[in-house]
Amino acid sequence: MLEIQGLSKTYGNNVAVDNVSFSVPDGQVGILLGPNGAGKSTIIKSIAGLLRYKGAIRIQGLPARSMDAKKVFAYVPEIPNMFDALTVREHIEYIRMAYSSDITDEEVDEILREFEMEDKQEKLGNELSKGMMQKVSICCALAVKPRVILLDEPMVGLDPAAIKKLKEIVLDLRNKGVTVLISTHMLEMVEELWDIMFVMEKGHIVGSYTKKDAEGRDLDELFFAMTGGEKE
Amino acid sequence: MKALIYLTKRSFINNLKRAVRKPSTLIAMIFGIVYGIFVVFGLGTLVVSVHIDSANGLLAILAVWSIYSVLGNFMMYSSRKGIIFRPGHAHFVFTAPLNPKLVLISSAWMNYVLSLVIWLVVGIAAFTVFGIQPLRALLIVFMGCVLELALEVAVMVFLYTNDNIPEKLMKGIRMAIKVFLIAFALGIVLYFRTNGLTLESAWNLLDLPALQIIPVIGWQIAVYRLILLGPTVLNIVCSILYLAVVAVSVIAAVRMKCDGGYYEDAAKFADDYADIKNRQKNGEMVFSLSGKKRSFRRVREKISGRGAQAIFHRQLLEYKKERFFFFDKFTLVAIVIAFVFSYGLSDAAVESGAGQLFLLGVVAYVSLVMSGYLGKWENELKNPYLFLVPDTPLRKMWYATLTEHIKAFINACIICIPIGIFWHVPVIEIIFCILIYVVIQADRLYTTVLAQCLLGDVFGKTGQNVLRMFIQMALLGVGAGAAVMIGVFINIDFIFPIVLIYSMMVTVAMGILASLRFDTMEQLV
Repeated sequence: MLEIQGLSKTYGNNVAVDNVSFSVPDGQVGILLGPNGAGKSTIIKSIAGLLRYKGAIRIQGLPARSMDAKKVFAYVPEIPNMFDALTVREHIEYIRMAYSSDITDEEVDEILREFEMEDKQEKLGNELSKGMMQKVSICCALAVKPRVILLDEPMVGLDPAAIKKLKEIVLDLRNKGVTVLISTHMLEMVEELWDIMFVMEKGHIVGSYTKKDAEGRDLDELFFAMTGGEKE
Repeated sequence: MKALIYLTKRSFINNLKRAVRKPSTLIAMIFGIVYGIFVVFGLGTLVVSVHIDSANGLLAILAVWSIYSVLGNFMMYSSRKGIIFRPGHAHFVFTAPLNPKLVLISSAWMNYVLSLVIWLVVGIAAFTVFGIQPLRALLIVFMGCVLELALEVAVMVFLYTNDNIPEKLMKGIRMAIKVFLIAFALGIVLYFRTNGLTLESAWNLLDLPALQIIPVIGWQIAVYRLILLGPTVLNIVCSILYLAVVAVSVIAAVRMKCDGGYYEDAAKFADDYADIKNRQKNGEMVFSLSGKKRSFRRVREKISGRGAQAIFHRQLLEYKKERFFFFDKFTLVAIVIAFVFSYGLSDAAVESGAGQLFLLGVVAYVSLVMSGYLGKWENELKNPYLFLVPDTPLRKMWYATLTEHIKAFINACIICIPIGIFWHVPVIEIIFCILIYVVIQADRLYTTVLAQCLLGDVFGKTGQNVLRMFIQMALLGVGAGAAVMIGVFINIDFIFPIVLIYSMMVTVAMGILASLRFDTMEQLV
């Protein structure tokens, strides 16, 4: 479970996120939506422990900054940043050591195969295209064997086959009881994935829906109804 | 910790493998090592030649080192800029279940290696150059590698992980340190002006008890005094105080709680550092790591001009939005050069009666000094829109580089006019010098483009610069040689028109060749 309570973050005099609270229960896929500058990235970075903030963030009931919480948490940032001098395989090996993950070599091979990266294992970080970096970033997150996973615009830069595979993996994670939070602009990409959605605007959550409450309405219909925009 | 060691070890090994495979990096590494050894030996010779190859001499060096390293480290770490983090850290390390304090300490491994190398060199020099007994030299190395480093790491941990000290207070302390360092340097200058720049006055300064009483810095100097010159009551007391400070700092750093608050600053530093490295890789000269966003003036103006002309007008609009329009750090450099040469060499130039030739020499020198400078035109070649503009490659190149020619003209005027007036150079020859400067700068631009065309990315920016310098020196050197010969044997007044006309011919030829690069985005190599 992922819980955010009274989260606030300011940059100088600019309030990026103002007293935001929401939670994603175990085994559900949450979607964080909002226009540019709404504060989504600030929330994502706060959950990932990359920002100072006010309020509380809990992962599986533990403070997000605690080592135990970090061990079960995986993060796929919007812009992947590889270590230039580490190969794809070494990135995963590092993750295995850092998280004390019990993932086996066969499982690593399987993840790499799923994302068509098995022949790129010896490529260095600075030799990868943006799409490949995104795939490695996802592979590393999966190598953690997380209980909570955070994906920030995960589809950007991926080819159609990888997008399809990622969707399958998200559904598979959900079925295994993993909590998933996805921040995205690409509403149609997450249409069949979500269980609960949150819409942000100007640093606040302006509304949320569960799949049941939505009564079959599209994500973009719900989104534009809450933000006051028009559906194209 | 195992994961962090793995990360560092694999990065180091892979970097080394890559360096060995890439000839330019390997050559740069070998050159760097040889140059480093040369500098160390040069400094050793210098120490002997200025007669400070004694225990007092080493103490003086270590005292200056203590003052500037302790305060310098404090300034770097308090602004959370002393440790190099990469964007990969923000992605894979800061989010991982790793102790933030360990992340911090392990990420500073380069600082430790550098310290170790410096102190080993100091230790060897203490024994070989300064004539210090081996045991004392070993103690110096121990002091530097263990005690000083322990204090540095403790200060680093304290400043990075402490979120309770208000940033305003930190800024105030940094400013006070800057003022202190400047005042200290001025104080030393004043002391030597009053007491004369002699070894005796230097040793007297070093013997001042007040120096050892300064907290931390002075106490550190006292430890060096104790090792090098033997015990006195003062240096024993101050050394004990220093040991106590190191012990307390280390204990405080170990006990300090840290939940990774500094990751926010470290991630921002990583992005800024990556940006700077990228800009340096592209050949740009970057002076500081400010991390501040550039601010622009509001200018409401339509871009006029058709075809390639629009490139020039767009650049002009961009410059109008800059705080100082065309004027930048190189304008300041030009002013400093003009000031230094106008005053510094005016007597010699006027007396020689050949001020115009001196001025031509200055122009050639400044062209060389400013060769690392890049302007907006460099970025034009990375922009696909340049190649889509429906115009000829020659016109595109001309308009993409026109603002650079204007800037070169401004810099040439700043340099040549005051120097020319002070050196009593005839007006016509000042004008010639200005034009020659502009043409040489234009030639540099076009030759750079040509070097990029010929070498591509095979030998990196360094390789391109070497080739550019070779072409430029070979071509312009022939003209300069011919002009000098004609000047010496026929008439000295011919030098300026010959240099100008020849440079223009070469530049036009280079320009026509370089314009090929503006035809398609793909490079020749």
